[in-house]
Amino acid sequence: MVDPPPLLDVRDVSRSHFENGKEFKVLERVKFELAERDFACIVGPSGCGKSTLLRIIVGLDNPTSGEVLFEGAPITPENPQVAMVFQSFALFPWLTVQQNVEIGLEARRVPPGERRTVATEFIEAVGLTGFENAFPRELSGGMKQRVGIARALAIEPVLLCMDEPFSSLDALTAQSLRDEILQLWSDPALPPRAVLMVTHSIEEAVYLADRVLVLCHRPGKLVAELEIDLPRPRNRKEPEFYGWVDEIYGLIV
Amino acid sequence: MAGLRKRFRWVALALVALAVGVATLFPAQAAAALKLPLLAVYSVSRMVAAYLLALVFAVAYGTTAATNKRAAVVMLPLLDVLQSIPILGFFPAALVFFVSTFQGSPVGLEVAVVFLIFTSMAWNMAFGVYESLSTIPHDLEDAAASFGVRDWLRFRRLALPAVVPKLVYNSILSWTNGWFFLVASEVFTAYGATYARPGLGAFIADAGQAGDYASILIGIGALAAVVLALDTFVWRPLSVWAERFKVEAVPGREVPHAPGLYQRLQWLPRFPRMRAWLGARTRPILDKYDRASARLDRVYKGHATAMRAVRRLDLVLFLAVFVLVVGAGLLGLAGLFLRPLPPGAADIPAATALSFARLGLAYVLALAWTIPVAAWIGRSERASRFLTPALEVFASIPATALLPLILGFSIAVASGVGHEAGLAALLIALFSMQWYLLFNLVAGVRGIPGDLEEAARSFGLRGLTYWRRVLLPAMVPSLLTGSITAWGAGWNALIVSEYLPFHGRLYEVEGIGALMDRATFGVPPAMQPNAELLFLSIVAMIVVVLLMNKLLWHPLFRRASMRFRMEA
Repeated sequence: MVDPPPLLDVRDVSRSHFENGKEFKVLERVKFELAERDFACIVGPSGCGKSTLLRIIVGLDNPTSGEVLFEGAPITPENPQVAMVFQSFALFPWLTVQQNVEIGLEARRVPPGERRTVATEFIEAVGLTGFENAFPRELSGGMKQRVGIARALAIEPVLLCMDEPFSSLDALTAQSLRDEILQLWSDPALPPRAVLMVTHSIEEAVYLADRVLVLCHRPGKLVAELEIDLPRPRNRKEPEFYGWVDEIYGLIV
Repeated sequence: MAGLRKRFRWVALALVALAVGVATLFPAQAAAALKLPLLAVYSVSRMVAAYLLALVFAVAYGTTAATNKRAAVVMLPLLDVLQSIPILGFFPAALVFFVSTFQGSPVGLEVAVVFLIFTSMAWNMAFGVYESLSTIPHDLEDAAASFGVRDWLRFRRLALPAVVPKLVYNSILSWTNGWFFLVASEVFTAYGATYARPGLGAFIADAGQAGDYASILIGIGALAAVVLALDTFVWRPLSVWAERFKVEAVPGREVPHAPGLYQRLQWLPRFPRMRAWLGARTRPILDKYDRASARLDRVYKGHATAMRAVRRLDLVLFLAVFVLVVGAGLLGLAGLFLRPLPPGAADIPAATALSFARLGLAYVLALAWTIPVAAWIGRSERASRFLTPALEVFASIPATALLPLILGFSIAVASGVGHEAGLAALLIALFSMQWYLLFNLVAGVRGIPGDLEEAARSFGLRGLTYWRRVLLPAMVPSLLTGSITAWGAGWNALIVSEYLPFHGRLYEVEGIGALMDRATFGVPPAMQPNAELLFLSIVAMIVVVLLMNKLLWHPLFRRASMRFRMEA
């Protein structure tokens, strides 16, 4: 019997920039798999190509060599099974919260009435009920990222990709959003079936993820894959937590 | 709000009193003034027609240039050239072409006028569309792509909204340009015949020919009233609405409250219940539209290869037409230069230099008063409140409408020393240029961030040091933006400013504008129009404008935006 293909299969992805005929390697032969119910974090220093890797995984960018398979098939940017949350939120400033959350459904030609119902549900899930008609500029940073998350969840993706989703937020807001993400994740009735997040904060990765993929600097290479088996909710003050953080820190430096 | 209403009432009363006063003092003109509303409707209709054409053109051209890199290689330089063409120089030829095409019917004239106004509106709007499309933030494009927002939906949700702010802003500029040319084109003399279409511009020009100052003033007043009314009831609200579509450059920065008359209009009734009713009525229509656009999207997608083929064909056709037009133009030019030069061609360099010097003098004069006044208005709330409305009224009058007044003034002041034509040409150039400088500079001063002002104050920067270290650097980018526009307007004004038939006499000075006019109308006593000379003059002017843009303004602008931009 053949095993079903993994949810996400990143196969020897390399990526180079060419400048004046010179090759700059950004990523070199990155290879990993994601399975159902995986919450994975890619950690690495800034400039190591984490974001490039994520962009390749969601199909916004192409690898120089290698390929990305989603449920066994090559990925395309408009894959409705994968949704993206951006560091800069990337909300459409001229659309209301409701319209922003609906955009992915609109692209999938969901009829307006159904669109409204689904969007309302996810706006409620991220705690923004009452702000449906607000414009992004009227919201705080944390609320904007909630819209970003609701927008991603609204298309009920199988895989949720997040590119440093909490880096533009203040520490307190970021922590409460992390907990909210974990809470949404713990509800199996809600999408997604796997999460892939990019971050430069080791603590954040250890706090959130079941699996941490460590990417090193120039060219970006996968140097380690760790299974974080701490029970949730995790406590940053526990020695085990710090043990993991120190170990990853050692791998990067 | 009550205070504002009172002020409005005073303004209205003052206007009525003025009208009654004028009517009793000049009964003959008052009777003529009764047809002004109808003339205004004619003039505005021409502007609207030209604007709609320019809008369609701008969106199509700008979108193509922004989305098709290969086309952009030819489209952008072409736009640059089009922008620097002295439009009025081509007008006689266009006029004759359209009039003969429509076999002398007034429709031909109307089309010619609308075409002229179109050419004064379209280019900067197309640039605006191109710029906004090519500066859409990458993460927004990524977000759109990752959620599968493509084709028609992408246009509606991403491209169109991104274009709105700049398009509105450039539309306001285009309308200012348009009024200038409307007034110039409603009465036009070409090849010995005078063509006229009823309108506010024609009214002012007729009054000028008759030397009837009361009518000139009435006409200018009516024109200013129309321009201001459109500004208040169309462009201000549109600018406020367009704020919504601005992409925030700095996250978390407060959106400035839209100033000006729009806020003062808040006492106007809002009709909430009617709007709710309308909203409920339009929702099904909007939903239907949504579904229709989804279907359109499917068609797009289903016939992707066909659409690609159409687009490629489109590009090939465009390139073919472009090559043909440019080739024909170049051949014509080559022919022009191969033949013996027409008499008068030797005057072109000297005339261009003279005109350039005249514009330079007007520019310096404009700077001399606009910099201090902009610094004052930009920093003093009170000065702004009292001066801005008055300045806006003045600025709303296109220089072409002021022509008779300026000439009358010049004759009164300088005919003793025989320089009345020179003074008039200088003043018209000044009036065409100064408002672009003033309003850009005011915006520059207003754009100084509050914390920078506070830092300057806390370090005790005052007087000359404050000017040198804060105010002038902050003005540099807006000064350059204003200068480019002002010089463009100045070059365009040359044709009307250097050659002035007025009250049965001709006032002219040496210059490239006068040279073009003489080439168009023919020089006494031979009175032979000289098309070759006209084209050579136009080419000379285009070359000078392009050189100035490429060698002076653009490099300066690039350096200034690196050094003086208000971003840390």
